[in-house]
Amino acid sequence: MRVKVDASKCQGHARCWTWAPNLFHLNDEGYLDPGDIDVPENEELNARRAVKGCPERALTLEE
Amino acid sequence: MRAVAHPIPDHVPETLVGQFNLFTAPGMTPTPMGDPHAAIGMLLSGPPIFFAPGNTRNGEGTWVVVRAEDQRHVLQDGVTFSSNRNIFSSALGEDWPMIPLEIDPPAHGHWRSLLNPLLSPRRVMHLEPIVRQRAVDLIEGIKAKGTSCDVMQDFCFPFAVSIFLQFLGIGWERLHEFVDWANDLLHGTPAERTAAAHTIVAFLDDLRDLRRQEPTDDFMTFVTQAEIEGRPLTDLEVRGMAVLLFIAGLDTVAAAIGFDLYYLAQNIEQQNSLRAEPDRILLAAEEMLRAFPTVTPVRRATRDVEIHSVLIRAGDLIACPSMTANRDPKEFSDPDQIILDREDNRHVAFAYGPHRCLGSHLARREIVIGLEEWLARIPEFHIKSGSTPMTHGGFVFGVENLMLDWSAKEAN
Repeated sequence: MRVKVDASKCQGHARCWTWAPNLFHLNDEGYLDPGDIDVPENEELNARRAVKGCPERALTLEE
Repeated sequence: MRAVAHPIPDHVPETLVGQFNLFTAPGMTPTPMGDPHAAIGMLLSGPPIFFAPGNTRNGEGTWVVVRAEDQRHVLQDGVTFSSNRNIFSSALGEDWPMIPLEIDPPAHGHWRSLLNPLLSPRRVMHLEPIVRQRAVDLIEGIKAKGTSCDVMQDFCFPFAVSIFLQFLGIGWERLHEFVDWANDLLHGTPAERTAAAHTIVAFLDDLRDLRRQEPTDDFMTFVTQAEIEGRPLTDLEVRGMAVLLFIAGLDTVAAAIGFDLYYLAQNIEQQNSLRAEPDRILLAAEEMLRAFPTVTPVRRATRDVEIHSVLIRAGDLIACPSMTANRDPKEFSDPDQIILDREDNRHVAFAYGPHRCLGSHLARREIVIGLEEWLARIPEFHIKSGSTPMTHGGFVFGVENLMLDWSAKEAN
């Protein structure tokens, strides 16, 4: 599973970080940097929650 | 004043003129035991966009964009839909923006980059002990006085103001003075509002000058020492940031906690379940942010643009009430149900797009901590018998005269 990140849409809501702090790393301003994210098996549920939690639709799931 | 017929621009088709107005529609005026979120939610059964005459304080009409998807489109495009309205300064007959809210992209990005680190999720974690201590002090003070209170005046409002004072390095002993200013500014008569605005601006200007001479480690010192695009900030820029910090975090946070307690006072089972399982408050607070958001962002079109084939002319105002987006059935299942454990919850209480509430992470912590400490320290509470909470609409929804009573449980 991968999470595709459209960093240009990220506005720093940090909902992904709340659900999956080990997966989503926020920069000093509190935004995601560009770069898709590989999801280890034990983080799949949190990754799904994170993707569904993004108000900007900046994240998409690839399975 | 608003009873006077408001002008409708020539390009607005008669069929798209709605009856609704954020200030005067049923449920938006001060209403005993009201439910303004349900009242405005009725718009979801109407057209996705309509024109609301007289939908601002100065009587100018606005378009109202009802659906979440359309609001996302408007609020994510800060170039077409400008946020530069200078609403605070124009009310004083002046002309300066509150920063960064009233600055448009691309300049807006420089200001956010300056301020984002101050209010990032990580930075807010460090503020947590202070926020919690303020909540505990206020609640223990209330408990020492009796078994009922007006929770807006005694807790929600001073709690939010105290966090602002903390940011500015101002002592707790001036809390009541600031609460009075904030009350006049946000809830006073037009004359009181103007007087309070002048008082607050003068205070913040003086503080700015003081921190320039005697730096410390607070927000004001940071902005007086900061640079933007390689130059120091002007006096008006520092003022624009300080004023926004003051007004953005007071009514909004206070009203959010107020609506949560208003709901929990009327839904005892939910109240007791959160008290028994405080770990659930984090998710419950998100659901209550969805169900009871307080803010309606407004933008001005910078060019002619269409939404659902409706022509918006350059210069028109567009209002995006978070309350309707947050109850949009295309966005949320069972949107009118309050499901405290709801997981799929990409609500818009803090707006979408580049102007996403800069203080959202702090606001979330204030709300969660406020609820945690209130529920931990105050036994089962109800709306005090014989009292009548008053709710209202407007650009910031609110609840007033929220008298809570826990005497029955205390006596046991």
